[in-house]
Amino acid sequence: MYFFLQIALSGIATGAIYGLIAVGYSLTFMTTKALNFALGMWVMLGGMLTYSLNVQYGIHPLIVLPVVMVALFALGLVAERFSVYPFLRAGSDVWVMSTLAVGFLMIDLAEIIWGRNPTPVPPFFGKDPVYLGQVSILPQQLLIIAAACVTFVGLDFFYRRTLPGKAFRAVSHSGAVSSLMGINTRRIEALSYAVAAALAGIAGFLVVPLTLAEPQMGTVLGLKAFAIAIIAGLAAPRGILICGLLYGAFEGLVSGYLYTGIRDIVGFTIMIVALYARPEGIFGRRQEERA
Amino acid sequence: MSYWIRITRLAAGVTVASLAAIGSGIAQDVKLGFAGALSGPASFVGTEIKRGAEIAIDEINAKGGVKGRKLVLISRDDEHNPVKTVAQYRELVERENVVGIIGASNSASMLAVAPIVNDTLKVPVICPATDATEITENEAQKQGRDNYLFRVGMYGTGQGNFMVDTMVKKFGHKKVGLLTWTGGWGVTGRGELQRRLKENGLSPVADETFDNNDTDMTAQIIKLKNAGAESILNYALVRENTFVVKTKEKLSNNTPYVSAWGIAGPAFWKAAGDSAEGVLTSTTVTIDGPQSPERKAFIDAYSKRYNETMSAAVFAVGAYDAVYLFKAAMEKNGFTPAQIRAGLEDIPQFKGLIKNFTRPVFTKDRHNAVTEEDMIMARWTNGKLLEVKFDSKGPYVELDENTKKYIDKSTMKLL
Repeated sequence: MYFFLQIALSGIATGAIYGLIAVGYSLTFMTTKALNFALGMWVMLGGMLTYSLNVQYGIHPLIVLPVVMVALFALGLVAERFSVYPFLRAGSDVWVMSTLAVGFLMIDLAEIIWGRNPTPVPPFFGKDPVYLGQVSILPQQLLIIAAACVTFVGLDFFYRRTLPGKAFRAVSHSGAVSSLMGINTRRIEALSYAVAAALAGIAGFLVVPLTLAEPQMGTVLGLKAFAIAIIAGLAAPRGILICGLLYGAFEGLVSGYLYTGIRDIVGFTIMIVALYARPEGIFGRRQEERA
Repeated sequence: MSYWIRITRLAAGVTVASLAAIGSGIAQDVKLGFAGALSGPASFVGTEIKRGAEIAIDEINAKGGVKGRKLVLISRDDEHNPVKTVAQYRELVERENVVGIIGASNSASMLAVAPIVNDTLKVPVICPATDATEITENEAQKQGRDNYLFRVGMYGTGQGNFMVDTMVKKFGHKKVGLLTWTGGWGVTGRGELQRRLKENGLSPVADETFDNNDTDMTAQIIKLKNAGAESILNYALVRENTFVVKTKEKLSNNTPYVSAWGIAGPAFWKAAGDSAEGVLTSTTVTIDGPQSPERKAFIDAYSKRYNETMSAAVFAVGAYDAVYLFKAAMEKNGFTPAQIRAGLEDIPQFKGLIKNFTRPVFTKDRHNAVTEEDMIMARWTNGKLLEVKFDSKGPYVELDENTKKYIDKSTMKLL
């Protein structure tokens, strides 16, 4: 029983990271039908910035967090303006390549600025594990799970109870009609990209004390998060968070009870099966176009 | 008149002789080549090799060179890329006419150049860094032809043997678990460990692996513990090993952890911090703890010249010894590549920084200078990599010249 609980708990903590990153994909997709394919690299940028501010300049994490959020938000606005908007306006899908290009650019820049060696960032609440009965978990992991829950509740509140949230939903339903209704669609599109970038920054900030800060840290995270976003349905951010937690737990259980090596094979096979069974995603809604 | 003729003849003679001497001094420098990673993520390996060689060459030249001839190092940056290494080896031999080469940073590079070196280039190479067994156990060796590849570092089968034998025989752990990286070196390492365990009549109680991108080894560590592993043997590099020790700490796991030489440098302590305390690693050389006077001199020369401490002493020391081995071979046998090669196989004793060889450094059948008897186990102790020594009371480390601390065999903690 201990084995199951320990593995599952570790897995959920990892899954919370995937979920937090995956939400970013849905945010931009819902409003613009475009994705930031390089979201993982933005997570890395958040992590590297956290390393610089916290370790090199000794700034307290509570101050680092808003700085990272604002910095990535601003960068997200710039990136959207130059690597996504021109192609959306022309009705093309080149944003697939251009967002990836921005991502690779960020990796190279990060290697130049910070070097390639992985460096540690001290966990924000110390490194002594917390014990829940026999099962142990790191404080940082608890923080990540808490952040995922807060995001879940916050998103729900945002979309249902706030006016800007309703504007988001309107734009994702139909950009043209929304602008006819007086919503500044263009601003919503840019904002959704920037908010996704800021969220990625938060994810990087939270995860970097667990991994090591290095330019390659985001690539695989971004890929797995993308898979989860697809499985859950790109238009269902809350479902994505749940799927993230489940996928993380599942990964851990497969490693624990079967064999570590087949973990990714099993995971991605399930993704293909899920997509085949429900192409719109587990939590997605079937879209029908009526003439 | 005859007085003047004699003076003139004398002057002419002296002039010609000195011109000849100057001419021979300048034109007859002995060139050694090196191609390795001087940029990129493996650059710390290539840079250490180059620096170790430079220190040795300058020392030798300051004392007059080899039989009056100065040594010169021609180096190239192969960016850890075997394709570039091959091209640069050709250039070093065919255009620069080097008579000896210090080996590259990448096992893949050395495996790629080995056939060309033995078949075409025929210039002796001494490798301080690359541990793939087939570099020295190559086709030429198997066919009984002249083998131009030599090695002064850890090598694959030997390291596997050493790790298993030390834990089984010296620490008395019969139940051994494996935890290896699924990447190239981890795969060959796992094979070596399994082979040696089998040769010892044992099999691993658990055989776990992890990927490049794993940051959490919870499942693997718990399984190893449940299987009753008395120690865990590992082949991986700094990054993944950092996550392993951090996971072990999270799970409050004390199983002794033994790794191959991937973590035998300060980068590991920098990344893992005191989670790395008590981890053992096999290597040939460590510069922490009490050192011989020759090693101390080398460490001082290094820090004076380059203004920093060594990031991978084992490679710098290996390169230093490689240059001195070339010198010994040249002094004994001559300066052509073939003569140097034969000379290397004929060095009966050698006082190197790695160790004091009282037996032939290389023989026709053995081109690995360092054998299992020469390898050491080292323990990460408070940021320093200290050699583990054994006496009748068991394993211990020396914190300094006066302090000896014994190690608990079941937890690797200091007693």
